[in-house]
Amino acid sequence: MSDIQRYLLDYDKNKSDAVETARQSAMRLQRGDLKLLKLIEEMGEFFNSEDAQIRAKTMAYLAEVLAAVPQKVLALQQRNVLCDFVLSRIEDSAGLGYCARALAALEERGKWDNDRVKTVVETLLEHTHPLREYKQQSERYPVLRLIDTLMARYRDALRSLHESSPDFLSRFILYFDGEKDPRNLMVVFSILRVPMVEWNVGSDAQLLFDSVFNYFPITFRPPPDDPYGITAQDLKDRLRDCIASTPAFAPYAFPALLDKLDSTSMNTKRDVLHTITASVTAYGPRTMSLYSITLWDSLKFEILNVQEEDLAEEALNGLAAIAKTLSQGTPDQLNTYLKPILKECNEHMEDAPTKQSQASARILQKLASVSADVNNFVLGGVLPQLLRLFQTADTIAKRRGLLEVLVQLIRANVQLYGDWRSVGPAGESSSSNALAQAQDQALNILLGGLQNVPVKEVSFRMVCLDGLLQLVKVRQLLNDDDIVRNIELLNTIVIHEESYGKDEVKAAAVNALVEIAHQKPQAVVDKAFPAFMAQLPDKDGESLAYVPVLEAFAKLANEEKVFETVVLRLKNKFATAVQQEASSRYLVALLSALLFALNTGPGKAEQNAQTALYYHDIALPLLKRVSSMDGSHPKAFNDESTLDLVGRICSVIIRAQPAEVQNELALEMYTLFRGVPQEQLPPFGNNTPAEQTKPMVVSTHLLSSFRRDTALPCEVQLLISTLVDFSQQDSLSRMVRLASLRQISLLMNKYIPTSAVRTCMDPLIKPPIDLFSPEKLDPNRIRVIFACLKALVLRNSPSLPSLYPKLLSLLSNPTHGDAVARGFTTLLQPDDLLTKPNHCQISGLHKQKTFALLVPSITQSFREADSAIKPNYLIALSGILKWMPFEIVVEEVTPLVPLLLQSLDLRGEDLVKEAAISTFTSVIQERPKVVEEHAGSLIARLLDNSTPLSSRPTPSQGGAAAQVVTPPSVRAAALRCLALIPTHFRHEVLLPYRRQVVKRLTGALDDRKREVRSFAVRCRTTWLGMDEVGDDD
Amino acid sequence: MKASSHSSARNSSAVRWAPHVTAVRDDRLHEHFPRTSPLSALINTMDIDKENANPTILNPSDLPSRRTDSSIKKREDGGTGLFDDLIPSYTYLSDPFERPVASSDSEDGYAEDIDEQEVYDLISSISDPEHPLSLGSLAVVNLPDIHILPPTSPQSPISTVLVEITPTVTHCSLATVIGLGVRVRLEQALPPRFRIDVRIKKGTHSTDDAVNKQLGDKERVAAALENSTLMDVIRKMHSTCD
Repeated sequence: MSDIQRYLLDYDKNKSDAVETARQSAMRLQRGDLKLLKLIEEMGEFFNSEDAQIRAKTMAYLAEVLAAVPQKVLALQQRNVLCDFVLSRIEDSAGLGYCARALAALEERGKWDNDRVKTVVETLLEHTHPLREYKQQSERYPVLRLIDTLMARYRDALRSLHESSPDFLSRFILYFDGEKDPRNLMVVFSILRVPMVEWNVGSDAQLLFDSVFNYFPITFRPPPDDPYGITAQDLKDRLRDCIASTPAFAPYAFPALLDKLDSTSMNTKRDVLHTITASVTAYGPRTMSLYSITLWDSLKFEILNVQEEDLAEEALNGLAAIAKTLSQGTPDQLNTYLKPILKECNEHMEDAPTKQSQASARILQKLASVSADVNNFVLGGVLPQLLRLFQTADTIAKRRGLLEVLVQLIRANVQLYGDWRSVGPAGESSSSNALAQAQDQALNILLGGLQNVPVKEVSFRMVCLDGLLQLVKVRQLLNDDDIVRNIELLNTIVIHEESYGKDEVKAAAVNALVEIAHQKPQAVVDKAFPAFMAQLPDKDGESLAYVPVLEAFAKLANEEKVFETVVLRLKNKFATAVQQEASSRYLVALLSALLFALNTGPGKAEQNAQTALYYHDIALPLLKRVSSMDGSHPKAFNDESTLDLVGRICSVIIRAQPAEVQNELALEMYTLFRGVPQEQLPPFGNNTPAEQTKPMVVSTHLLSSFRRDTALPCEVQLLISTLVDFSQQDSLSRMVRLASLRQISLLMNKYIPTSAVRTCMDPLIKPPIDLFSPEKLDPNRIRVIFACLKALVLRNSPSLPSLYPKLLSLLSNPTHGDAVARGFTTLLQPDDLLTKPNHCQISGLHKQKTFALLVPSITQSFREADSAIKPNYLIALSGILKWMPFEIVVEEVTPLVPLLLQSLDLRGEDLVKEAAISTFTSVIQERPKVVEEHAGSLIARLLDNSTPLSSRPTPSQGGAAAQVVTPPSVRAAALRCLALIPTHFRHEVLLPYRRQVVKRLTGALDDRKREVRSFAVRCRTTWLGMDEVGDDD
Repeated sequence: MKASSHSSARNSSAVRWAPHVTAVRDDRLHEHFPRTSPLSALINTMDIDKENANPTILNPSDLPSRRTDSSIKKREDGGTGLFDDLIPSYTYLSDPFERPVASSDSEDGYAEDIDEQEVYDLISSISDPEHPLSLGSLAVVNLPDIHILPPTSPQSPISTVLVEITPTVTHCSLATVIGLGVRVRLEQALPPRFRIDVRIKKGTHSTDDAVNKQLGDKERVAAALENSTLMDVIRKMHSTCD
């Protein structure tokens, strides 16, 4: 049996076998086992078959063989013969796709000459025109690919074909007419783009344009799981490239596009605007000068009457693109375009502030940032009129409207010429900036407006302030004296102006100073800082006037150029204030400012080169003050919360110190340079006076800032058990106890090596400490348990599976079970000391692990628990869920729903209720199906919690508990959750409840708290807005 | 209401609503709300003949709001609380084992009564049917034109909310629709102990008496609300309220 026979047999049964047969034939050709002539002969009988299918399959075989034959097996002459043969078969309507494949394969195996290319294309056009006659996409696609390849490799041949026969192009264009398949269209667009860009299309321009514009706008939506991955965007991009390809299209493109701009479909308008912008850029100044005004007349409506913000934005881009294109042409062309625009904008400004004056400002801003030429023209055409209108304006609102335009123009200037630190796209040409001529007038108007207008004109002054800031920023515009005038005015506003309303102007003035410090740091340090420092007393009196000044000053640390100066001045001020015995309140304010500066400063203290300096200048002196007994120890340092602040400042600085420095400091961690052996001090010494325990707060922060390899002042297990004992003392103040407990957590997390982590709890679990013994349980022991577990949870300790059951069993403890339950919230609560920057070990999956280990057991125990202790499980569960990312909860939420619903019935457990409601809020949004079946009980419970006093009798606790009032936070949360239900549940589920919900919500509308009322309004509106289908009674 | 009478009310509503409108202009109100025309067509008609296509608009920071109210309590130290967040809210210092001292009673301590500003906040965010702008920024509703009148007698629990609206132009044919939108919004959002009275401010509209008559007539308001096209417009106006 010949190969072709085998191929035909396999073709329908098993395609891959058929392909393999063809590949074998190709190999035999290569080896010489099979002569080409023989191959052709064998096929002959089938090419003459009556059955079109068989003829097509035979051509498929030939195409497969040719595609599989290696290069150079076929000689030029053979290829020519084959080519002629295949071309002769094109007349046969069967197997066109395979003919094209065969031709493509032949072309790949040896470059064709120009005549060959012409013949191929001519033959195709002659016999298969138009291509849409071939119904199968798989037949048309190879033809299109072939032509695309020829277009890519034989440009000259095809162009000469076009140039020698006048009707070729029109036939060529119409050949593709009516193509609908997206894959084919992608190729068609790419083929047609070549004549568009490179050929002289002459009178065929319109035909060519129509052939692609017929597809505009593309509304194709790819089928789901489309294997070809062609998106509507791909088609849109190619089509847009075609339309924008040649200025010859302009006479057809712009009228057609503007016509479609009237469409009611936003997507069509979007497409039109993108295409206009692309075309404008591509068509060049000569063409564009003909259409610029027509386009302006249409595009302006999208901006003056905004329908969708992004359409207005794109229309602005279009206007800017026209200006940009025209600035490459003659000045006349640009002027002709800009004149009517400026005229219309000037007219709109006359009745500012209106919607259209605002739109005009946008247009001018966009145009003015296009190029230096346009900028100068716009400024020249608008500024005189604007200033004249400003002088004659009779209301402050009108003046504001006009200044808004001015500010936009200055902003455009900054975009174009850049600021003091970087050059803009216009390059170093600021000397020709037309704004320079008007700068004095603008500066005086803006300064005057900010200075002289009454403080209650907030929005007017905000505009002035913004304008001044932009003016200061413009590259090489204002001289230093003028900039100083600005800084001084801003200073006066921040420091001396009376407070008004939300103090928006003051806040904006501070931010402006920060921005100016970015541009001109030295001017700010020289002019603004002395004024600030003058307002900060060395010793404060009764007045609190320093507070806003200090806040503003600390904010300046945001700018890296002045950061160091800010920190230095604050440090010096603090030292002086201590010396002058200033009040504790003032010292705390100064320390807060210092911490704020260090935390928010751009370089952050830790990456700053000055960090060693800060250690010696700031951290060490502060630590010495903490422990000293003489005058350098301010009274404020007797307060634990001040010590906490000190600890935080030191921690920020010490965190970045090298190992040697940390090791040295670690030795003084508890002594703090007191010169007393640490054995006599807390936590080591027994019965130390309360005063001496306070520095433990600072020690905690030091410990948190150390690296994991920093040497501790004693062995870690010993230190842990010492701290456990120490923290059990009843005499400790609350903060010192909490600080000591946190030291236990830090040690367990950072200093227990991985090898020992499984057993590190053993000394505490075993007697004599016996931490988990139910008999010895008391609040302090519970605190220790959770302090240890918190450290282990974060590092995903392997001991957790054995520790958690012990912990859960304590929930049933009749006296302390309640306290244990409350502890669960601490396990996953975010923490400011146990963090990665503090070198703690934090596993990425610790939340998942804890969820998996705890939640199923809690659900299980809850079902079996006595009703008196059931609430403990609900409290514990809420403590865990509160911090659990919702993605973890959502997979397991179904069994939790009954527990959460019962949580809503608890009395007086407001935090638990809030957590439950917040879980429901997330579940309703993400998995409405899960809670939908509980709709009735959920709605009833939420309604119940939406008013201060529940309307339902409490089943378990009787009359006494009815006094419990639902707090506003729970009421608000319940209403917010209830408001989500109509948009996420199926309406047929909800309709039975709608009437009742709407009625009962009138109670919440009259809540005592405004915030609750506003949630009630929103909630009731969504329930009222539910589709009223079927609500006919 | 029985189903049959319900449908008859629907059918007659357009007719009942329209004839009371007296001025020539107002015939267009009728055109605006043909019962059969889809909403999109309706909006298109509006776009084409906007009666005031270029209204004056107020800057958001100039609109009255509770926060700029000078009566609000300032921080006593005159600062902005910049340093309040320095100590994160979840520190080692929060101890869940101590019951929170702040009981619900202290939180609920003082009542915040419904005042004019609150009414203003409810209606100023309604959008104008012609422009995608709020009634507040178009100065159609203004805080000084909102009054809460206490109950007329000590026995009565009923207070009255009086809102006077100012149309952007004196012949605005949509004044009635705006008034209706305000009225519906307040009826949905205020507790039932308030009686709601929405009027056109005297002298700001060529036919203010006629419009006021319509807005004050309970029967006619109820009938208008049965008109689904009209309700669609009002729903769209309310969609910007939060």
